[in-house]
Amino acid sequence: MSELYASAPIWIRDDLAAARARAWSRIGRPGTWWDGGQRVAIAAETRHALSCALCRGREAALSPTAIEGKHDSLGVLPESVVEVIHRVRTDPGHLSERWFRSVIAAGLSEEHYIETVSIVAHVVAIDTMARGVGLDLPPLPQPEAGRPSRYRPPGVKPGGAWVPWLEPTDLSENDSGVYTAGRSTANIMKAMSLVPDEVRNFFDLVSHQYLPPLAMRDFSREYRAISHAQIELLAARVSALNQCLY
Amino acid sequence: MIHDRSYDLNAVTGGTQDAGGVPHSGLLISFAEAVLGEDEEELARARDALSEAISPASLADAAGVVGLFNAIDRVADATGIPLEAEKLEASADFRAALDIDRFDVGARV
Repeated sequence: MSELYASAPIWIRDDLAAARARAWSRIGRPGTWWDGGQRVAIAAETRHALSCALCRGREAALSPTAIEGKHDSLGVLPESVVEVIHRVRTDPGHLSERWFRSVIAAGLSEEHYIETVSIVAHVVAIDTMARGVGLDLPPLPQPEAGRPSRYRPPGVKPGGAWVPWLEPTDLSENDSGVYTAGRSTANIMKAMSLVPDEVRNFFDLVSHQYLPPLAMRDFSREYRAISHAQIELLAARVSALNQCLY
Repeated sequence: MIHDRSYDLNAVTGGTQDAGGVPHSGLLISFAEAVLGEDEEELARARDALSEAISPASLADAAGVVGLFNAIDRVADATGIPLEAEKLEASADFRAALDIDRFDVGARV
């Protein structure tokens, strides 16, 4: 069991504990567009968003744009980044393309946007599971020195999302391993492919905290302590609570 | 339908706690709702009930799935991805029955 779960009141699968430890340590490393310190700051702001008065008010409103104000932030990141973190963390069911365009128009690049969304998603996955099993939230990782790689895949082009994405036929050598061979590539995998490392990082966690790609539709056996049907029921109920069609 | 079996999917949208055919569906749904909610006592009860009814390992795996989909939903909504064409066709009937097309990110303004 990894250090993250040394005090866990219940047994956490070794592969799951290891995947979550990998995901957590990667947050502290230089990314593709943010450095390690900025990535940890995004993780910290993700947690802080839950106590933001503006977000609480917007969550309760019929339309989030009906309530104006300033986010309660830790004061480390630019306001446009704080807006993305808080909205994605606290009110994903009201995100719209119009809102996304406004964030980009305010100066945040699409690449920085995707890496920010990915870090928020990592923190949400790890913290929500910790809450579920009754663990304290893990302390934020220490930032590591180094520069972002600033790698933009040459094959990205407009697809079905608000941001450009990579089709499996457009992968370069640098993009190998981004998608799973032997099955069709779901849009959720393409969604963050403007920053390929974030696809690799997030789906490493997906494979252990949910199921590996080739196990998702393999009904000939069960891979977890709960069945495929039980897993999909949980997933569907969570998505309905989050008002997410996908 | 999973593996040629039919299930009552009204549990997905909270119409019922019993997804006919899925063992312990009520406990699983209560657990998911409690994890995403804010009532700590309710969560403790849901956690204990699930662990006792199935196993402690099931609690860890269920918590993992709830956490992961709480994150995946955010990736989907923050990037505006549509459902794949084949899933759109395959899910048309139960999307209509459950009235979940209202959650379509493409229809938001």
